[in-house]
Amino acid sequence: MDPTQIGVFELAERRLAWVDRRQAVLAQNIANANTPQYQPHDLQPFAAALGTASVIAPVRTQPNHMEGTADASSQADIVERPSAHAPDGNAVALDQQLVKVADTETTHALVTAIYKKYLGMFAMALGSSSSG
Amino acid sequence: MDLDKALGIAAAGMDAQTARLRVIAENLANQDSTGSTPGADPYRRKTVTFQNSMDQEIGTEAVQVKQIGRDGSDFPLRYDPSNPAANADGYVKLPNVNSLVEVMDMREAERSYNANLSVMQAARSMLTRTIDLLK
Repeated sequence: MDPTQIGVFELAERRLAWVDRRQAVLAQNIANANTPQYQPHDLQPFAAALGTASVIAPVRTQPNHMEGTADASSQADIVERPSAHAPDGNAVALDQQLVKVADTETTHALVTAIYKKYLGMFAMALGSSSSG
Repeated sequence: MDLDKALGIAAAGMDAQTARLRVIAENLANQDSTGSTPGADPYRRKTVTFQNSMDQEIGTEAVQVKQIGRDGSDFPLRYDPSNPAANADGYVKLPNVNSLVEVMDMREAERSYNANLSVMQAARSMLTRTIDLLK
């Protein structure tokens, strides 16, 4: 049986990828907390990202056209609507970003726990002693 | 992997804040550095600006110091005829460093540094948990 065909594993994998990516986006926001004119970014909520899993990417139809270099996954980025601007045009609110970081971390812990439990069930069914 | 990128970006942010703290330290250390010849200019306050830039190594956008500039504001004058830097009227130009502004800036740099550190800790613990899946 192919484990990638099992709903829980596929869902957990996608969620982990989303959480990974979101953490990088939030890290970028926080690193730029003092950059003039910087606008914070975020990903689309996971439910929305799951709905549009197949992002439409441009395809080269003519050999003499230039190939697109944009990463298809980067299209999921949305610019946040900032609640306030600093005088230098920066719109990163550190407290909000850190709340999101903590939230992302909690989600990640949840997903890895579920993944591990599920793997443990397989191990138990197979009768191996090294079940997690 | 995006978690590695998160670590790299947070490190770049900490780097930028460190550079900022260094400039603040220079300003504070030189807040009494006047010139040594009559009418000479004293120490001019330095400023630091950041920009969002592409980091080739980690392949994503991080932050870096754009430039370390100079504060063009006027020097305050103080009447002190015995000072070697006093001009013909007995006035000495003092550095345009306001220690209150510098200390505020220092607090902000510290806060931003801590925020980057929190991101790094979060990303690290996520990585560890992912690795723990394999155990």
